[in-house]
Amino acid sequence: MAGEVELRGLCKRFDDAVAVDNIDALIHAGEFFSLLGPSGCGKTTTLRMIAGFERPTSGEILLDGVDVAQTPPHRRNVHTVFQNYALFPHLNVFDNVAFGLRRRKVARDEVTRRVNEAIELVELGGLAARRPQQLSGGQQQRVALARALVLRPALLLLDEPLGALDAKIRKQLRLELKALQEEVGITFVFVTHDQEEALSMSDRVAVMSNGKIEQVGTPATVYEDPGTVFVADFLGVSNLMDAEAGADPGSPDQCAVTIGDFTLRAACGDTSARGAVKVVARPERIQLLAHGSERDNCLPGMVERTVYVGATLQVMVRLVTGAQLQASVTNTGSADGFDSGAPVSVHVPADALRVLGAEAPPEVDPEAAAPDEDAAAAEPSQAAGKP
Amino acid sequence: MSVAEREPATEGTAIVPASGSRRNLIPRRLRNPWGEPRFLVAGTWIYIAWALVPVVIAILFSFNAGRSRSVWQGFSIKWWWGDPNLSIFHDSDYTHALVHSLLLAGLDMVIATPLGVLLALGLTRWRGRGSGVANSLMLIPLVTPEIVMAVSLLVVFTQLALVPFSLIHLGTTAQVVGQVTFSLSYVVIIVRSRLAGIGGQYEEAARDLGATPIQALRLVLIPLLLPAILASMLIVFALSIDDFVVTQYMSSNSTTTTIPMYLYSNARGGTSTPALNALATILVVVTLVGVTVAYLLYTIVGKRTGSAGTGASALRELSGIEAA
Repeated sequence: MAGEVELRGLCKRFDDAVAVDNIDALIHAGEFFSLLGPSGCGKTTTLRMIAGFERPTSGEILLDGVDVAQTPPHRRNVHTVFQNYALFPHLNVFDNVAFGLRRRKVARDEVTRRVNEAIELVELGGLAARRPQQLSGGQQQRVALARALVLRPALLLLDEPLGALDAKIRKQLRLELKALQEEVGITFVFVTHDQEEALSMSDRVAVMSNGKIEQVGTPATVYEDPGTVFVADFLGVSNLMDAEAGADPGSPDQCAVTIGDFTLRAACGDTSARGAVKVVARPERIQLLAHGSERDNCLPGMVERTVYVGATLQVMVRLVTGAQLQASVTNTGSADGFDSGAPVSVHVPADALRVLGAEAPPEVDPEAAAPDEDAAAAEPSQAAGKP
Repeated sequence: MSVAEREPATEGTAIVPASGSRRNLIPRRLRNPWGEPRFLVAGTWIYIAWALVPVVIAILFSFNAGRSRSVWQGFSIKWWWGDPNLSIFHDSDYTHALVHSLLLAGLDMVIATPLGVLLALGLTRWRGRGSGVANSLMLIPLVTPEIVMAVSLLVVFTQLALVPFSLIHLGTTAQVVGQVTFSLSYVVIIVRSRLAGIGGQYEEAARDLGATPIQALRLVLIPLLLPAILASMLIVFALSIDDFVVTQYMSSNSTTTTIPMYLYSNARGGTSTPALNALATILVVVTLVGVTVAYLLYTIVGKRTGSAGTGASALRELSGIEAA
């Protein structure tokens, strides 16, 4: 199947700034591949280089084995769905979708047939004569998809295509987009800063930071088994804590991590690490028990704040060690025991406590080592924004 | 002084009586903070009348039956048509000036607009060293006193034995070159502000869908720029029809006289008749027709391209000159 992309030593420098720093990646044919990262991480520049809008400073872009790095965009069988769709306002839906076919000098009958097929594919039958500005955001997004798909590209690039839509349509289109990709079998390269989007749609995700790829893997891998502090921190609330790792005499697969005066057992990640490490636990794996509960792997703490998100409650807990943790508690209709100031016992199961080796490069540390207050203050509002 | 000390004093003496007396200045029924800003509205209308009434009077006197341009002596169209000695359309000096004015305006429009569009495209794409300076320098012709530009051009065209300047002779050629020189900046500014609004994404989308750079320009960018191009043409036309200084300096003899030049040299002379008013009226009408046509085209094109809805946005486009 066509549509395999390989990036080899790809670099892009703008004056003094390095936007993309020597990345290598192999995107399989027919794969839904996401580039995920914060703004300025180089994901859009990477996409624009694959599309041909930016010329790489160095490196190769192999499209089915052929280096296209120096090919102008109109000669690449790669098409893009732009962030704001970039539908031509002076053309109606039909002519927008037909634009690419006409540039290829496709026969008139075939243009009509294929355009109508594409419009049907994205379920916009009957709107062919409309102008883009007469359509809703979701409909415009479908036109943009149809306009690119009608050309049967080997590879479709999507630059935050859902970013301009409101939350409900975004969630719906997420499912449709994934279903569409499976139906047409085209390789999708999807750029987003929204981790939920990337995780829910992708076959594989590349997490980017500072122009580099931090980790590539399936959504489950990058979420459950983050390779770096950055990945752990960027993919959801990660509750990073400084700890001291030592051997666990009880079992060789685990290690003992000391956080302040407390020693817990950790069973995931780099359990062979010793010395100063970071440990991380996902908020949904943390349990809050009544104060004084006698269990292993418990830390005493105090509820600082509870944020009502809807399906869950985000409970911020300040541990006696000074660190702040966020726990995600299913909303059962009562928020009893989570009042500010209430003492709780924070249970972090050993199989939820992940050790990240201290080998994490220091330059990503500013993100991870930011004061706990900042991280905690930013996260709940972000979570609350996505009902 | 602390707040606590100051407050009782002001409350007791200063503010209450002052605001009370101010209230009395405006009758209660005229006071309405949510209502129309009457004084501003009145001021606006006074200005409009001040600016338009003299023009209307001048137009009216072109229909005067007598020779006077200030005393009404009955209605007649003899200054316009019908009298072989008096009517402007029977006087070859008048009609020649009119034809020459229109010729210059047409040439200026046809030359300055495409050149300006190209320059605007170039300036928008040119990033890196020198582009910022060039962008600022583009504005200089707008603020250069016209007389300075006119005198410089005259010197360059008549004294400099250097190609291409020596190829330009005073007369129609020099007049067109001069007018294009100063009207080009307006086109560049209008088109550039529009280009900034359009952004690079439509062109990129066209390239992405297989259009060559030329096709992207022809099929996407130019249609989107049409409103700005029309607005530019109108501005250039109005600038040219109206221009006196540069056109005068670049002229050679009576065959290159335009309406403004003719009006200037005759308005104060003893030979002036209401025929001059008729000529001035033609200038007004030609400009108004130009504005109206551009406005209508803009509205039609705007609806078609969906980029600009109504005539109101035409005005906004034109006011882009100030914004830029």
